[in-house]
Amino acid sequence: MHIKLEQRHGSSLLWQGASYGLAILAGFVATAMLLKLSSADVTTAFEALFRGALGSQRAMLRTLVAATPLILTGLAAVVVFRARIWSIGQEGQVYAGAMGAYWVASSLADAPLVVVGPLAIAGAMLGGATMSGIAALLRNRYEVNEIFSTVMLNYIIVYLLSFLLSGGPWTEAGTTVAYHQTPLLAQTAWLPHLAGPLHAGILIALLAAIAVHLLLERTSSGYDMRALGANQTALRFMGMDVPRIVLVTMLLSGALAGLAGGVELLGVQHRLKADYLFGLGYGGIIVAMVGGLRPAGTVAVAILFGGLSSGAVDMRIQSGVPDSLIQAMQGTILLFVLCGTALARYRLTWSSAK
Amino acid sequence: MTVALQASGLSKRYGDVVALDDVSLDIHAGEIHCLFGENGAGKSTLSGCLYGYVQPDSGALAIDGRPMRLRSPAEALRLGIGMIHQHFKLVGRLSVIENILVGAGGRGLFLDTRAARRRLAALCADYGVALSPDAIVEELPVGLQQWVEIIKVLFLGVRVLILDEPTAVLTPQESDRLMAALERMRDAGMAIVLISHKLREVMRSDRVTVLRAGKLVASLKTAETSPEELSVLMVGRKVSPSYDHNRETPGEIVLDLSDVYVNGERGHRVLDGLSIHVRAHEIVGLAGVAGNGQRELFETIMRVRPLEAGRISIDGKDVTAGSTRDVIDLGVGHIPDDRYLQGLIGSFTIADNIVLGRHHDCAFRKGPFLDRKAISSFAADSMSEYRVAARDSGTRVDRLSGGNAQKVILARELQRSTSLLLANQPTRGLDIGVIDYVYRQLLAKKAEGFGILLASEELDDLMTLCDRIAVIHRGKIVGVVDPSGTTPQHLGLMMAGQAVSGGDAHAH
Repeated sequence: MHIKLEQRHGSSLLWQGASYGLAILAGFVATAMLLKLSSADVTTAFEALFRGALGSQRAMLRTLVAATPLILTGLAAVVVFRARIWSIGQEGQVYAGAMGAYWVASSLADAPLVVVGPLAIAGAMLGGATMSGIAALLRNRYEVNEIFSTVMLNYIIVYLLSFLLSGGPWTEAGTTVAYHQTPLLAQTAWLPHLAGPLHAGILIALLAAIAVHLLLERTSSGYDMRALGANQTALRFMGMDVPRIVLVTMLLSGALAGLAGGVELLGVQHRLKADYLFGLGYGGIIVAMVGGLRPAGTVAVAILFGGLSSGAVDMRIQSGVPDSLIQAMQGTILLFVLCGTALARYRLTWSSAK
Repeated sequence: MTVALQASGLSKRYGDVVALDDVSLDIHAGEIHCLFGENGAGKSTLSGCLYGYVQPDSGALAIDGRPMRLRSPAEALRLGIGMIHQHFKLVGRLSVIENILVGAGGRGLFLDTRAARRRLAALCADYGVALSPDAIVEELPVGLQQWVEIIKVLFLGVRVLILDEPTAVLTPQESDRLMAALERMRDAGMAIVLISHKLREVMRSDRVTVLRAGKLVASLKTAETSPEELSVLMVGRKVSPSYDHNRETPGEIVLDLSDVYVNGERGHRVLDGLSIHVRAHEIVGLAGVAGNGQRELFETIMRVRPLEAGRISIDGKDVTAGSTRDVIDLGVGHIPDDRYLQGLIGSFTIADNIVLGRHHDCAFRKGPFLDRKAISSFAADSMSEYRVAARDSGTRVDRLSGGNAQKVILARELQRSTSLLLANQPTRGLDIGVIDYVYRQLLAKKAEGFGILLASEELDDLMTLCDRIAVIHRGKIVGVVDPSGTTPQHLGLMMAGQAVSGGDAHAH
């Protein structure tokens, strides 16, 4: 028997939607099997998960809070991936963004929010953009593959923060070194809250999503980025400055990821601690991929994943399942979505050779 | 004559496209049977059905009078039907004899090379081919690689040999030799199916079957037809192959390359001290066997490929150290040979491709935003002027036929260029109707005062269109000739790198 992949002629929207639904369902089924393996009660665990994510108004707001940085890192991944620049430096850029915001906010401890807020946000974007800018320059100048440079930069920034926090200049005075954290920022630097735990960062994230959508689809710079992703050779033959487009795209992506770090610092944590930021950048890559590299899809998936991670906390409390299981679940959903996309684009055909 | 292969009522659809519509034909032993038609007429689908690569939706095949179903090329080979593709299926790093034995399949654990070598030597002697069994295939010239492919199939004892455009990669001399060998195979009783769109080869066949839009239009004895009749049958209307060709006095030099040296990706020389110039009001042809530096020459002029040494100037301005943008700003248009790689963004719309490279111009922009209205009205005008057939300017270009995609490139490049046109194989893969259109556009630009550098594999076309023809061989211009004072045979010798005395060959 032969099994062949055949391209579908015009993949229908229905198929695409169905494949996404199936992928998410499959993700849940796989997670249920993992729960079974760790001999937890599946019903209790899932009930706690859903209650934690959607069970009350407060739970829903917490879901949005968790989604906020994922929207921004997701957008950062959308921008570079649409241009086919394989930067996976969002993780490090989140750290650099939080560090930039912390540096600005802690230096301006006495200024009012209207001054500190915007400046700290700018510091976050600058921090992230510095990281991605380095990778862009390395690619343009020395043809260093951005995959390698961004991974290396992720390590460098994490260790730099670790140095600053373990006995370095940012270490909280009077505590033992073991905490690895800065003191709390002055309240003047905290982002205002909209309702309950929900802070103004969600507005920044949604505005960023609209801006990225307009940029990619409507502006001439966005045309450059999409064209770079679709056919770099044709762009070169048309006399376009490809290195400049790479630099601009990377700076924008880094600024968005940096923003995620800044918003998380100013809106939720109010102090720098490496653990708080871990996984936001890599999570953003998954969010962007599952969201079809489109801003609207990214927002939707970020909210789904935000719900999963805020529900995971309740799940751990209720059934003792470690919340890292949720990361496994998110990874599983990504794999199934990738399969689903292939299924929406191709069809399997069987032919029996007698 | 016995019927070796009979097809009756073959039909094949791909989605909405009818690739083959109720086609029946007989292939006789001892004949060269030519399948003739434009690109997209159904030649490839038909030949695919004949050797088991394509499964027809309906219709039947009979081999030596017995009904057969071919489910795979392997099955066709077992039944004595072999195919030579345009793109060879050889293992480049292996030797000739190894490639041949790979095809022969393993009977037993060890390859019987001694017997194979004897047979190879006999076949080479039969067809007058100088092929060393131990030569590494990728080091052989293309013409000999093709022979490895042919002998590989002959080894399996095929009685029906199908060849898909076999002369596309050959010089005229190599083509002649191949045709002579095919005639000998025919005389030995084989059936040869030759897919071609070159009239010169078609006229050497015994019978010709003309396909148009998936239908069989005519099956004729070649001796009883004429090139004129065949070309009318192929396109379904009369085309005039002659062009109003005003010989104007050439003007200023618009493109000047002197002693240009360029290296390829692997560090080897691809342009080796090449010099050429093009004047205003002049079409300079570039003739050469594919792979002798034509593409690199165009890339170098467009400044996407770095120069080792030499000088390039356009319109009197030195662009040796310039960028692609500088070249384009001097009014240069470029029609690349690989249109979906270098000329178009496949997933973008016609409108986006027509403004590609100009999308930052004020005319197409409102602040940071693209002015969609201005872009689509400009694109709609361009589409009607350059006769691009598509529903609207929002159609993706990768959904267009080759001819319409080429017209999108023409629309963009002809509108923005002002002095020099670089056209590399601008008619490759196009229908005769579109070819005619492209050439008329080039001649109109020449009359406007453009200088044009035109590379083409169709020597006849170069000879009718060009004011001078430069022959490129191994990255060098080996001669420049006046088309009225030369013949395709003479050009062919130069393309093969043979020193030619006489004529008015002189470099630069």
